[in-house]
Amino acid sequence: MASGAALAGRTPTVHRLRAHPLKIALVGNPNVGKSVFFGRLTGRYATVSNYPGTTVTITRGRALIGAEVCEVIDTPGVNALEGVLSEDERITRQLLADGGAELVVQVADARNLRRALMLTSQLADVGLPMILVLNMVDEAHARGISVDAEGLSEHLGIPVIEAVAPEGRGIAQLRESLPLASRPRAASLAGAGHIDWADSSAARFRTIRAMSLGRIQESLGRAVREPLTGLPILALVLYLTYLFVGVFGAQTLVGMLEHDLFNGYINPAATAAAAYIPSALVRDFLVGEYGLVTMGLTYAIAIVLPVVTTFFMVFGFLEDSGYIPRLAIFSDRLFRSMGLNGKAVLPMVLGLGCDTMATMTTRILATPKERLIAITLLALGVPCSAQLATIMGILGGISVWALLTLFTVVLSQMVLVGFLAARALPGDRSDFILELPPIRLPRFTNLATKTALRVRWYLGEALPLFLAGTALLFMLDRVGALGALTRAARPLVTGALGLPADAAGVFVMGFLRRDYGAAGLFKMAQTGSLTGVQSVVALTVMTLFVPCVANLLMIIRERGLRTGLAILAAVTVIALGTGAALNMALAALHVRF
Amino acid sequence: MTIQPPTTLAHLAPGTRGRVARIARDLTGRAERLAALGVTPGAAIRVLQTFPGIVFECDQTEMAVERAVARSILVDVD
Repeated sequence: MASGAALAGRTPTVHRLRAHPLKIALVGNPNVGKSVFFGRLTGRYATVSNYPGTTVTITRGRALIGAEVCEVIDTPGVNALEGVLSEDERITRQLLADGGAELVVQVADARNLRRALMLTSQLADVGLPMILVLNMVDEAHARGISVDAEGLSEHLGIPVIEAVAPEGRGIAQLRESLPLASRPRAASLAGAGHIDWADSSAARFRTIRAMSLGRIQESLGRAVREPLTGLPILALVLYLTYLFVGVFGAQTLVGMLEHDLFNGYINPAATAAAAYIPSALVRDFLVGEYGLVTMGLTYAIAIVLPVVTTFFMVFGFLEDSGYIPRLAIFSDRLFRSMGLNGKAVLPMVLGLGCDTMATMTTRILATPKERLIAITLLALGVPCSAQLATIMGILGGISVWALLTLFTVVLSQMVLVGFLAARALPGDRSDFILELPPIRLPRFTNLATKTALRVRWYLGEALPLFLAGTALLFMLDRVGALGALTRAARPLVTGALGLPADAAGVFVMGFLRRDYGAAGLFKMAQTGSLTGVQSVVALTVMTLFVPCVANLLMIIRERGLRTGLAILAAVTVIALGTGAALNMALAALHVRF
Repeated sequence: MTIQPPTTLAHLAPGTRGRVARIARDLTGRAERLAALGVTPGAAIRVLQTFPGIVFECDQTEMAVERAVARSILVDVD
């Protein structure tokens, strides 16, 4: 804890009158637990995972400290505040430089004191009062590392607190110490460089005994990154995910919800209730072919929700285990051919959860060129959880080959587009340098909170669009526009893609959200109006579409209107072209699924 | 004991321990990125894996780098 001698005579920072709440920024190296502290202080949940780069935006919340309401700011992790910075690092530096914070709580991984102090030294130059929190002291102890917090506090002239944030250890001390925050004595005062100062300070206050209790962690970490064991483990992970999401979620749960609940009870009941409505128009609007209940709600709740939920569970588990960054080692070479590096595996895998969020995560990539390529590939090929839901629902019922054909075509399109973009676009890729987080057993509470929040987010985000889309289709159908559109698109839909004419309406839905369009295909496949080959072609086109309106808006926000529209146009052309080519190839080879 | 000249990280076998001698300078800011992760002259280093990428532990951080980056890290082998 803070040493009294070092702090005597300082003016308390918190207890003075203020016109606005005191702004406290949580700053630190990536993956040290800033978001856990944010949650503990404010009672708001910021997504917590076990990989660097979970937080890419600034999150604000209120906390009551003493008798005062303070604003707590969660920031993206930074390894440096000077020199070459990535986009998420720039966001944090900007906040500190613009007076966005008045007090800095530096959160550090107790194991990594040396790196933490390099940052402390750079933060000292910013000139704000600080507190240093050594988080994860339990893991540090397990690895034989101990830090003399009291000595360090005296050395730096600021409070130094030992903490284990997920258990709440150190939170109370942090609250109490806020008034004692002050500007640390670091390299600039000692007339040394940041690195030399951090080296010598870490050596003085940290002791490392040659012992290691993290044996299981270490051998697990090795097993997943060595090719001989790692690749079979990857196959196993994918297979188990398929069993849980594709079979249990997409077949068992969807069957229960769609067939038993909606078709058995809700839809008949809604239809019966609607019979009392005198207007046929309103009746159809609610329970007709494009009815809000019979189509919109059924798609969102019965077909997509179960798969999204099961997927988010598996996904959260993988995120918290520290597994995903290790995949970068295997994929580095492939991504390099696409003008990226292994780091891109993070946004790509996150895209399987939600492409919109993943588009934001591309901020961890270092160069504008890499970000542009990654954003395009996400929009083009990475199916989000809701899209995966419908793919598995339809093709899982046909054959494994149908599923493999779709993924092979989509993946090769991504590689091809990435390969061409890498050569056509100006700029460079950056070095592949990636920190690997420790392998951990995920905490159940975090997993449950995260899954629940994501499901709620899905409902808030997708359900209104499903309903709005259904209403739009209903109106288009009523004014005859759907018929006209279907006729206009016929040469493309029935000719080049070889699909039934009805599929045109489904593609209109796919423009709003591709999972919504895919849910339409799901219905068509169920009623037997799509053959196996037609399902594969239609789903391939749908998968290659831009994911949803939200994703398009995010691309525009991140990269500008012109780039956004260019990506939209390119992706749509590629999607339709690939579908036509696939249709021709499958017909020429007489393939049936 | 004979003093050996530093070897690049790309040439070391898994299990090798040593200390970072220096980072070859270039114009891309590579040395700066590595320094921010704690890979600075004097830091203890242990090679964990060499294929398909190079994985090593530096101080208490485990990290993966591509071969080109490993070539610019010069190590004094213990």
